[in-house]
Amino acid sequence: MLRKAAVIFLILIVASGCQNPFQRDKYQVIYSMEKDNASKKQNNKHNYTIGIVPKLKGIPYFNAVEDGAREAAKELGVNVLYEGPQTADSDQQVKVIQDLIDKRVDVIAVSANDPQKLLPILITAKQQGIRVITWDSDTLAGGREFFINMVEPEMLGRHMMDTLAWNTDEKGEFAIMTGAPSASNLNEWIKWIKIQQQQYYPLMKLAEIAPTDDDSQKAYEVAKQLLKAHPHLAGIIGNSSVGPPAAAKAVKDTGKAGKVKVVGLSSPNVMRSYLHEGSAQIVTLWSPKKLGYLTVVLAENLLDGIPPHDGQEIDNVGNIRVNGDIVIMGEPLDFTKENVDQYDF
Amino acid sequence: MIFKMLKRLRFRNYRLSSKLIVTYIILTVIPMSLMGYISYWQYTKSIQEQLGEYMPRFLEQAGANIEKQMNEIVNLPELLYNSNDIIAILRRDHYQNQSDLLKDQFVVNSYMASTYLNGSNPNVLGVFLISKNRFFHSTRLNFSGFGLDTLPVPSGNDLDWQGKTKIILPNEVHLKFDGNVPYIMIMKQIQDFDNRKNMGTMFIAVRLKFIDEILRNFEKEDKAALWIMNKTGKILYHTDNNKIGSIDQEINQYPILNGSFRSNATDESRLVSVKEFSQYQWVLVHSIPLKYLTERTDLVRNITILMFLIFITITSIISIFFALKVTRPIKKLSGLMKYVEMGNFQVDLKIRSRDEVGMLARSFNSMVATTRELIEKNYYIEIKQKEAELYALQSQINPHFMYNTLETIGMAVEEGETGLVVEMVTLLGRMLRFSLSNKSKLVTIDEEVQHVRDYLTIQKIRFEDRVNFMIDPKIDIHLLYTPKFILQPIVENAIKHGLELRKGVHIQISINQEFGAGSGKQEIVFRIRDDGPGIPADKLAELNDLMRSEAFVAGDSGLGLRNVHARIALMFGADFGVQLDSLYGKGTEVIIRIPVYGGEQL
Repeated sequence: MLRKAAVIFLILIVASGCQNPFQRDKYQVIYSMEKDNASKKQNNKHNYTIGIVPKLKGIPYFNAVEDGAREAAKELGVNVLYEGPQTADSDQQVKVIQDLIDKRVDVIAVSANDPQKLLPILITAKQQGIRVITWDSDTLAGGREFFINMVEPEMLGRHMMDTLAWNTDEKGEFAIMTGAPSASNLNEWIKWIKIQQQQYYPLMKLAEIAPTDDDSQKAYEVAKQLLKAHPHLAGIIGNSSVGPPAAAKAVKDTGKAGKVKVVGLSSPNVMRSYLHEGSAQIVTLWSPKKLGYLTVVLAENLLDGIPPHDGQEIDNVGNIRVNGDIVIMGEPLDFTKENVDQYDF
Repeated sequence: MIFKMLKRLRFRNYRLSSKLIVTYIILTVIPMSLMGYISYWQYTKSIQEQLGEYMPRFLEQAGANIEKQMNEIVNLPELLYNSNDIIAILRRDHYQNQSDLLKDQFVVNSYMASTYLNGSNPNVLGVFLISKNRFFHSTRLNFSGFGLDTLPVPSGNDLDWQGKTKIILPNEVHLKFDGNVPYIMIMKQIQDFDNRKNMGTMFIAVRLKFIDEILRNFEKEDKAALWIMNKTGKILYHTDNNKIGSIDQEINQYPILNGSFRSNATDESRLVSVKEFSQYQWVLVHSIPLKYLTERTDLVRNITILMFLIFITITSIISIFFALKVTRPIKKLSGLMKYVEMGNFQVDLKIRSRDEVGMLARSFNSMVATTRELIEKNYYIEIKQKEAELYALQSQINPHFMYNTLETIGMAVEEGETGLVVEMVTLLGRMLRFSLSNKSKLVTIDEEVQHVRDYLTIQKIRFEDRVNFMIDPKIDIHLLYTPKFILQPIVENAIKHGLELRKGVHIQISINQEFGAGSGKQEIVFRIRDDGPGIPADKLAELNDLMRSEAFVAGDSGLGLRNVHARIALMFGADFGVQLDSLYGKGTEVIIRIPVYGGEQL
């Protein structure tokens, strides 16, 4: 009895002996906050494939977008398929998208030539479990989850009207060279160009809106015809990237450089020489590389379950704005002969 | 041998006092010390657990504050993008002449001075920007050891960090500010987002004071050490500034990076709390020696131990005293018992307490007394019995009686009365046999009556008409018992006194069963009446008194009566015995009372 009690006593001492000098573990955990560290990042190791569809392939603007998309693909470790039609045609674009659906990509990001014609194929893609977003040019809202816009369309349209007005002393006739007549972004900007002109520049007059289908050759012909048809033309706004270089070249070739002012949307590399010569005065654009980069980043985020949010900081891009289901990349850049050398796209 | 010793050590073989002391100590010392030990242990454990749970949360909060401030600092390079002029300069990579370069440097330096040094963050010590072989800088204090030729990285342009921020510790660069102000550097590449190119690398040196301020606000304890290190153990910040930049080798051995643990790695045990911050790959550590945590508890523990020792000493003394007090009378009792065992009953255990031991002593005393009494009584009865028998024998072989009887027989022989001779010899023989043969104390009343009848018959033959007797048993005397020789001494007295003073005596013996007032039971009553001279009243009272008295004077011939009484009283109690009744000149009646003893009661 007595010995039993002694044994129990000893056991108690030993069992309670965390401070017992006989057993000193080097480390003894008292409290742990370790969470389950199976982080989400490990799920990303899926090899995502992102299909990016420009309005067409081969023009400098969309080539620069491709560069940006490839840069992002390399950094994020995803596959990017950059596939577009040969001309800015929505039927061809549908075929390209069908190809991407067959390749079972995870996301299709489209710059739409027509807001309506792409809807059926995009809905088909959605039904196959493919996420759809748009960039550069939007479709109807039912066709995609969100739209990556480069700039506010109102701001851009009004700004293009302003850049022309600064150079023509706020008077005279002008023409607009647009891309595909159905492209929603181009038409949105034209709408705001007209509003700005009506509000602030009563002495100016819109003579013609000429579509070029984003074909450089056709654009040059269109520009020459415009100059011929409207001898008193004070300026040309090219609201797609093919417009301003074609207009500048036509102005230069017809000896009207400096007399007919050329402004619009185009990239610095294409416009550098025209700007320096004075064939074109101001072109406006954002960085298409940045747009391509941002599109891939947002597509990848979407697959990871992170939708874009207002003020979000994107590495290597900066902060983005979100308004409803539209993402705004930032402010446009104006290129003049003074600063065009700073840019390389 | 060892087994034997073990056997001797067995608890049940201990002395009672040792048992009591050991039991008492087991019952008090062990539970008390166990309780004290467990409560101290639990208490220190709970202090550790509380701090262990609280510290990581505090670290989390402090770390979040630091991270917040760090984020502000890390975002500082973004301010460059606010100025298109600065971006234009950074995009430029060749110059027409030196003055253009100096002009650009002036523009950038003053922009950085106005943006960073005079900006919202007072902890920025200096800003450095390396871009395409140009070095821009703006600092609050004079510095040395930092320039294009002493870059911390081979070339600011070549490395591709994908725009990520790096933290550089002072010992990784040669940069020194006046006064050796402790700092860390944030290194960030400046991206040209539009051209998708790298324009340069910015370095921002930040005073460590902001971490100090955050941590000091939380932790004012000097004894604790707080530090921040990266995952490889390199210390970015330490409450002991000398340790900044050194490497904590233990980090790989830490069992967890989020929580608290006790570390016994060094000489003194420490409570270490750690929290990991993923954003900058930091680990925030708080380490405090356990002895500071348990300082107060240890004081309480020491006081408790002291109190415990004092208490144990006092209670041990009390328990020993008490054990001895309990066992001493028992020891005394056992000694006395041994004494009694040896036959000495003249003992008295002098314990007057009212507890169990006192009761035991009283019982022992009364037991010894009773034993003594019983022994004495039996002894006494035995002696009386023997004396009575001797007396009876004496009276039977009384030479006088024998002589007279034998003379009577002789005369009868002379006269030729053969029948009478035969009768007398027969009677005498039977009397002698009765006296000698039967050893038991009790005989049937029949036998006793037969003996008296024989005696009386002999006397009647001797004295012829002078002696007459009648025996009248009114009950069945064959089955009832009586002590031996109770009737003969009384009859002898009656004859002796009757014949002394009178011509003849008439003796009447009746035997009856009556209810006895003294005993409250049925008893047998012998009545022996004679018509002798009687006894004077005063003599009668004296005799009755003498009979009841304890004194016993052997050898007095007139005291056969008292002998009978004494024997009966001894055997059956004071309710029984002999009673004398006499009317002087008329006669005497002797009443003998004995209990009813049937054969089955023997």
